[in-house]
Amino acid sequence: MTEAVPSLPPEIAAIDLADTSIALSIDATTYGLEALQAAGYTFLDRAYVILDRPSPERYRVTLAPKKSEGELRAQLTRLAGEFANELLAAAYRQRLQHENRALIESVTMRTVAGAMGPAEAAPSLEELEAFDFSAEAFEDPLGIAMSWEEKYGKKSPPSAGEPPPSTSSDGEEGPR
Amino acid sequence: MRTLRLHRELYRGEAIDAAAKIYASYAQIALVEEPAYWVVNVTASSPARELRVARELANQALGLTVRDR
Repeated sequence: MTEAVPSLPPEIAAIDLADTSIALSIDATTYGLEALQAAGYTFLDRAYVILDRPSPERYRVTLAPKKSEGELRAQLTRLAGEFANELLAAAYRQRLQHENRALIESVTMRTVAGAMGPAEAAPSLEELEAFDFSAEAFEDPLGIAMSWEEKYGKKSPPSAGEPPPSTSSDGEEGPR
Repeated sequence: MRTLRLHRELYRGEAIDAAAKIYASYAQIALVEEPAYWVVNVTASSPARELRVARELANQALGLTVRDR
């Protein structure tokens, strides 16, 4: 046995006290399927939601609260109002998303393309294959890239015929 | 027995299958295909349990439908 919601036309909303639920009739030409599903999804934690499409022009949403909070009629009416608000917000979000889709895609494309760098910078496989990896990476006249052992380590005794190593002008031989 | 009719345009079949598997241990669940609806028959030890399982199953199916959209 259903009864109308006082503030709404009976063809829009009907309360079923025996089933502890309220049914809303939604215009399918005003609200899209994605908005309806999105709005229903946000209510899954506090209500049982069943969607239906009795005709091509209408959706029907049946909401039943999971927990009883006060007088049932008032709770169901409140639930229906909150769902209608959420449905409107979801529909508006969908509209914004569709309108800005081209802009979002353009910005995302530029960002990804910029992160990849210019196409000429990456050497081809043939260039990599022909590259001489045995060549010295760079010149190091000051010995910056030398290891500590190479620069200051004990030198091996000179072999016969070789001159002794010369010391620097200030007599410094490096750290001890 | 409680019968749940979920419209094919609004619910994905895979989502209903997955939801039915989840709640199969709480009630006997039978799925029937109709041209416009997925029909879920729920049989349990009491009408209250059937109603609860049917509603939970419908919520699960909607959640999975939206998640995998």
